[in-house]
Amino acid sequence: MDLLTTSVATVESGSEPYTLVELVGEADVTNSDALREVLDAEVAKHPRTLIIDLSGLRFMDSSALHVILRANRAMDRQGGVVALASPRDPVAKMLRLTAADQLIPVYATVSDASAG
Amino acid sequence: MQPSRGLPPPAPANGAIYHTYRSDLSQVRALVLQQARQAGLTEGKANDLVLAVSEVAANTLRHTRSAGTLAIWHDGHEIVCEIRDEGTIADPAAGTRKPPPGASGGHGLWLVRQVCDLVELTSNASGTTIRMHMGLRPPGAPG
Repeated sequence: MDLLTTSVATVESGSEPYTLVELVGEADVTNSDALREVLDAEVAKHPRTLIIDLSGLRFMDSSALHVILRANRAMDRQGGVVALASPRDPVAKMLRLTAADQLIPVYATVSDASAG
Repeated sequence: MQPSRGLPPPAPANGAIYHTYRSDLSQVRALVLQQARQAGLTEGKANDLVLAVSEVAANTLRHTRSAGTLAIWHDGHEIVCEIRDEGTIADPAAGTRKPPPGASGGHGLWLVRQVCDLVELTSNASGTTIRMHMGLRPPGAPG
């Protein structure tokens, strides 16, 4: 079984569709290249909103964080928005300690994130 | 937290558990979590220690071509995780300053120093030893 699985969906919500990337497992330096490829591919489609669902993520290290920050910069440049949804406690703490949560909004649920 | 360029500290006390890693950090994290729980760390502190050790072990994979060694031991007061590898950290104060928000690097050792109670870093041309200490809460103490 892969350490990290990613799944991508386009969700048609009430107002406008958003891209939902769900991460399940453990994200670290050994799979951050694969994560970057997944996020780059979605960013390249120019969605207005890219929501990353972290609820299934048991662990995230700074390599994975850098990949997410990079995607956030790219989305920002093209006028889109990245949001993070439902991180578990250790991941939420790490986002706080690195101040990443000041750059990328963190929501309790995906539906909160999609409501902005 | 005194960074040092001197000789590595003495070998761990008897009773340490050793683990060598080359690529599988998930195994490293599972071992640290298991030992941290066994030593009596709270779940939050145990996860902090897992993050710290994983960040340091990730540096082994990033910056060296050889395996790293993890040693874990504890007494009544603290649990210690020590990582030794052949990498060299040029700046012994690495990670003591907070990287700017959104920085594309430098968060690893910052996180290590934030979550651990004490970090000892020794690095020279022959390698690096980083010891991460986490205090155990005395029996009967709250939270």
